[in-house]
Formats: sequence, C-alpha cells, structure tokens
Amino acid sequence: MTKTEFSDDLLTTAFPGILKNHPICTQSSHFVVPKDLVPAITHYIHTQPSLRGRLTLLWACDYRPVRETYGLYYLFTLERSHHWVVLSTETAGTDRLFPSITPHLHAAQWYEREIRDMFGLIPQGHPDLRRLVRHEHWRKGTHPLRKDFSWDATLGRQQGEHHFRHIEGEGVFEVPVGPIHAGIIESGHFRFSVAGEPIMQLELRHFWKHRGVEKLFEQQLLIEAVPLAERVSGDTTVGHALTYCQAVEALLHLEVPRRAKYLRALFLELERLYNHLGDIGAMCNDTAYALAHAHCGRMKEQIMQLNDRFTGSRFLRGVIQVGGVTRDIENTQLTKIVEELNQIQQDFSEVEAIILGNASLTDRLETTGILNEQTAWDHAVIGIVGRASGMNYDLRRDRPFAAYDELPVNVALYRYGDARARLRVRGDEIHESIRLIREMRDKIPGGPIADQPSSSPNPGDWTLAAVEGWRGEILYMVMAGEDGRIHRCKVRDPSFVNWPAIQWAVLGNIIPDFPLINKSFNLSYAGNDL
Amino acid sequence: MLQLIILLVAQTTVLLAVSPFLVGLIRKVKARLQLRRGASLFQPYADLAKLFHKQPVISTTTSWIFTATPYIVFASILTAGLLVPTFTSQMPMNFAGNIIALVYLLAVGTFFLILAGLDAGSVFGGMGSSREAIVASLTEPAMMLAIFAIALTNGSTNVSTIVHKTALLEGIVTDPSPHLMALAALFIVALAETGRVPVDNPATHLELTMIHEAMLLEYSGRYLALLEWAAGLKLAVFLSLIANVFAPWGIATTVTPAAMGIGLLVYVMKTATLAVVIGIIECMFAKLRLFRVTDLLGVAFILALLGLLFFYILRS
Repeated sequence: MTKTEFSDDLLTTAFPGILKNHPICTQSSHFVVPKDLVPAITHYIHTQPSLRGRLTLLWACDYRPVRETYGLYYLFTLERSHHWVVLSTETAGTDRLFPSITPHLHAAQWYEREIRDMFGLIPQGHPDLRRLVRHEHWRKGTHPLRKDFSWDATLGRQQGEHHFRHIEGEGVFEVPVGPIHAGIIESGHFRFSVAGEPIMQLELRHFWKHRGVEKLFEQQLLIEAVPLAERVSGDTTVGHALTYCQAVEALLHLEVPRRAKYLRALFLELERLYNHLGDIGAMCNDTAYALAHAHCGRMKEQIMQLNDRFTGSRFLRGVIQVGGVTRDIENTQLTKIVEELNQIQQDFSEVEAIILGNASLTDRLETTGILNEQTAWDHAVIGIVGRASGMNYDLRRDRPFAAYDELPVNVALYRYGDARARLRVRGDEIHESIRLIREMRDKIPGGPIADQPSSSPNPGDWTLAAVEGWRGEILYMVMAGEDGRIHRCKVRDPSFVNWPAIQWAVLGNIIPDFPLINKSFNLSYAGNDL
Repeated sequence: MLQLIILLVAQTTVLLAVSPFLVGLIRKVKARLQLRRGASLFQPYADLAKLFHKQPVISTTTSWIFTATPYIVFASILTAGLLVPTFTSQMPMNFAGNIIALVYLLAVGTFFLILAGLDAGSVFGGMGSSREAIVASLTEPAMMLAIFAIALTNGSTNVSTIVHKTALLEGIVTDPSPHLMALAALFIVALAETGRVPVDNPATHLELTMIHEAMLLEYSGRYLALLEWAAGLKLAVFLSLIANVFAPWGIATTVTPAAMGIGLLVYVMKTATLAVVIGIIECMFAKLRLFRVTDLLGVAFILALLGLLFFYILRS
C-alpha cells in the first residue's frame, strides 16, 4: 500500500462522512467534508501520530454569483510523506458562519481572521476576533474579496480604535514602535510591554500597506499576471513569479522544456544568494559589527550586478514567463557565472570564518531570540526560520519542482532556534546554492526555453503550486474564471506564517536585542500585507 | 594676565577646532577598514555648519529643560576641557579645579542630557536616559579611581600639575604598572562615556538599541548642532586626558612660541593616533549586549583599583 492510500484510508475510516474527490495535483488528496466536521477532521490530521499534518494554507473563495456559496479550503502537509491533503467545504452565502479550528490548531489564527476581514465570514469560536487586515478606519461591511466589491472602489473612512492587549503592573511600560521607522524598512507596528529592558509581551500590528493584490489578480488574464506576482514582494521576484507560473502551467497543461526548468532553478538560487548575503551582513550590522556588513554588502552587490548583466534586471524581473523563461543563459555565460560565484564563495568562506570566530559577535547571536521546536511546530513555521528551529522542510527536496528532481539538495538544519542558528542556516544555504549552480552547469540540457500555451482552462478549475523561495515556502492557489481570466488567486508568502512566531521568539529577551531578532527572521511586510 | 587670557583663548580654540576632526577621523578609519572610501575628514564641520543654519523644531510638550540642556551640556564639557592640558601643561585654569571637578563637570552635562531625554516624553528618549544613567553611574567610580592612581604618584589631584610633573619626569616611579592599569581603565571609561562600540553604536539607526543617540532624537537645528559638537568635545577631552597623562612627552612645559608650536603638533598627532585606535576597535568588536556593559565597566573599576593597590605595594 502506498503512503497516499494509507493516509487516505486512515481518514475515510475515521470519518465515514467525507467524500474523496479528484486530487488537484500530484502527491495530493482532496476530500469534500461537511462544514461541521471540519474541526474534528483537522484536529485528527494535525495530531494523529502517523499523519502529523501541518496546516499549510487556509483560504476561502466567493462562488457567487454563479452559486450562492463560499468555499473554504484547508491544506495540510503530512509530516513524513510531504503529501498534501486538501479539505474543502462550503458555506451557504446567507449563512456567514463557519466553525473555527484555531482553538486546537494555533497556526490557523491569522488565516481565519484574514478570511473574516476579506469575505465577512465569521469563524465561530475564534478566540481573537479583532480586525487583522481590515484596519479599524475601514468602513464596517467592507470585505474586498467578495465578488460584489468593485476592485476600484474607494474606501470610506470611519473612526475606530484597535485594542491592544495590555499588561498592567508596577514598572510595566508599553513601548510602541513604528509603523514609521528611522531606517529604510517597511511599515509595521510593534508594541512591547516591558519591565525595565526585558520584554514581557510583543504584539504585532501589520497590514498598513494593503494593496489589494489578490483583488487585482482577479482583474487579470491568467497568462498576463506574472508582473503582478513579481511585485508581491520585491525581494522575492523570482520566487513569486515562478510559483504563479507553475500554477498557471498546471491549469493550462503546459509542459515546460527541461532547459527552462534548469534556468528557473538558476534564477531562484541567484535570488537566494543575494538575499542571504544581504541578510547575514545586515544581522552583523545590527550588532554594530560593520566589517562583516561591508563585505557581505559588497558580495550582494556583485551578485545583483551579475543578475543585471545576464538578465537585464538586478532583481531578476521579467525573466520568468508562463511556459518557461524569457532569457536564455548560454553555456559559456553559465561558466562565467560559476567562475564569479566560485570567487564569491571563497570570499564568503573567509568572512564566514571571521563571523563565526568572533567572540563578541557570537555572544550577541547565541541564545538571542530562541524559537523552540514546539512553538515552531505550533505555528507551522517554515523556511529559514523553521530550519533553524528543527523544522526539516525544504520543498526543493520534499516536493521537487523546476529542475530539483535532478538536483538533490542538502538541507541545512539546526535545532537551537536562536539568531546564530538562523545565520548559520543562511551561511550553509549560500554554499549549497553555489554548489547547485555548479551542478546545473554540468547537467543543463539544450533545447527551447519556453512553450506556448494552446489550451484554455475550464472556468472553476483550480490548482496549487509551491516553491521554496529564499524565505521559505511560497504558495499560490489559482482558480480559473471565464475567458482565461482569474477567478481567485490566493497568495501566501512565508512571511504571513512566520510573523506571529516572532512574538514568541522575543519573550524574555531585552529590548535592544529586538532589532537583531527581527533581522534574523527578516520577514517581508509587503508579502504579508498583500 | 594677558598671557593667561591668550592661553585660555588658545586652549578653547584648539578644543573646539580639533573635536570635529577627531570624530571625522574615526569615521574615516572605520570606512577604510570596511573597504569604503568614506566621507571627507572635514565632513563633521560641514554637518555642524548645516545644522546651525537649520531651524530647530521643538515639541510643545517640553519644558525649559529641553532648550537649556544643549547650552548646559556644551558649556560644562567645554569648561571641563579647560581643566585638561592639551598642547601646554601651563594651564591657565589650573587653579580653578582638580580631577574631581573635572569628573563632576562632565556629570553635570550627562545629568541634564538624561533629564532632556525624559522631558519630551517620547519612548525612545526615556529608554536612552535610563540606559545612560546605568552607564554613567558605573563609569564615574572607575574614572575617579583611575585618576587617583595617577594622582598618588605625582602628589597632586590637578591634572595639569600631574601632566607637568610627568613630562619633566619628576616623581615618576620605576615600575609603570599603576599607570598601565589606570590607562586600561580610563580607556574603557572613555569608550563608554563617549558612546563608542562596544558600549554604544554612534552609527546606528535602530532607536531600540541606542543609548546616547536616543536622548538626542527629539533635537534638531542648532540645539542638535550644539549637542553633536559637545559629544565631539567630550571625545576630545577624554583623548587629551589619556594622551597627556600617560604620554605627556612633547607637551609645552614652558610658555614660548616654539614650545607651544611643537606642543600643538604633538598634541594633534597623539589624539589622532588614539582616534585611529578607537576606529580599529570599532571594526573589531560587535556591540555588547546591554547588560554586559556593566561587566565591562566592572572590569574597568577593578583595573583602576589594582592600579591604586600596585602603587602602595610598590612604594613599600
């Protein structure tokens, strides 16, 4: 019996009421479940020792005006087989309630609040129903992802106040930071409750720059929305574009040529390289260790210039297209890239030795901002942050996409969960990325770099795609609409999952260490706010 | 009388003129060590000139303390500077105060800066003030003990008398260990008091980690210029103190134009060397965790205490 059948049988035996549906992609199962069974089933998937499902995505979809219902979808990744289990349920358009799974599945908390804000559906039993995306100044009843909400509507304003959680007592102070900061960083509000310097509580207030990305997708044609995906989070251009394209290609039944798959992997690794180098430098800078910052900054710039030379864009914009890539990198050019990267790797090894050998820096990084394994699991933390806390996930290995089925990846894994572990994951991944690019040069086949789409999908078809971007797992759910349009596109940057976890990682640390902890997570505000 | 006035003016001018240069020099050294070209050595002068021309913005919630503080800080540090010999050991203000006066003149500035940090009622100012209070209360005893260790060997608590005697090699002990201990202690104190790495990071933009800069966040225009200049002056005072107490050679011990000229040249070279050393240290170390700063200043205190003990052990 295969792993898939095994997990499917477990579910159908435990819950006879559920209906097995056609899988939406490879390595996945899809079940249609009655609405009131959802809490029980999700609890079972999450806790059953042979399944241990990690909540990966939770999204809603407005089916009106076609039929008077909203769809709710729960995606779990099973711990051992990395198999996807999708649960789908529906709630009648007039009945705006659905059962909350947050009380026993912590990772669902932001998803359910997001659904409440964007669709006006109310998760019954959710312990925290304050507004999340929809700030208090949005008019009551504004739910942008409903189909009857016009994409270019102007938001009215109202008075409102967000109620933060307060800790009271002698000597306890609240320190509000942001959303406007002194440095060139994005807008986010952090509210600390401190007793002296140690942090007793941190509460995040994000979503200051809601751009309506998901609503904008719904105005686009499937094959034309790549530029929008590239702009979800500027530093993850390739990651988002690639995930989007993979979803669209699955809907259009497009087979991407092998050479294009290799080039996509190449661009993804280049993006990982420049971001990791920048992050390591920025972490050192936050401890006032400017030497490492300067050198990492130089190497990051070298890679961005290399991007510019070979693709015409420092941020690798416009290189990914539906069906393949837009730019071919000739084999001689590839050799040149490898030569330059070898040089950078040599330099980086030196800087890395200095960073890891410096006692004063090590003292700052070790035991700072520990995110332990249990908390990481409860929040379903992913990506670099997860791998530094013992969460052994990497889609490049677990669910290979692009050319990673032919390029085995050694996944960096640490268990301490402190800032140093997060720095070391990045360091190891830099070496691994350069090794992968060398392997690509040896293995890359010839041939075309793009395929033209010929068919168009049936309205209502939908699929999921996932890519291991440099921050972690990027997910796109794309549902086709009429005339090649998009009916619904759910974008999930890893930042959305990892942001809440930072509130636990800082507990007990002192306020001056927060910028370092935040930098070691380095999450996207734009990718989170959408 | 005239000579005294001329010396006083000269001392003041030298301190005011040299201090931005030292700040610029440290920045330049750091930039060079990071493979950057860095701003011009004279950029701090341009920054001060710019700030003096800008209109200050003052929060409506502040009291008179906020506007008075820049003047008090600047004046107290400059006065403290007049007690420390720079290019000549013939200090006109020698009669006016000794080491204790010097330490507490500097403390007056710190005290008012702490008040001003709280005055505007902003979160970061308050955090900066509370941190500055910790650092200041720990540097003070270490600094006193370190200078006492030197004062004992020279039989005077007046800095210029100490420098004068050391320069003429009067009363110097054969074993320099009390001096070396005191030097190490005073150097750590200087790093802490002037807000350099590893205690504070003058180049950061992260409000949550700041100490000195957090107290200045609400200041702008000429007030900010005065406080920036005062910070530079403080650096110059500490570097002059270290340079001349521990290596007074070359300083003008007589009031002749030639000796003064040489003294000035040597003074600039000595303080510049110290500034380069600070620049190198800033590149070698990460900033300490806030609560480790107390350990570092504890070390400074112990070193200074050892210096004192060594003096008595060596004498008996």
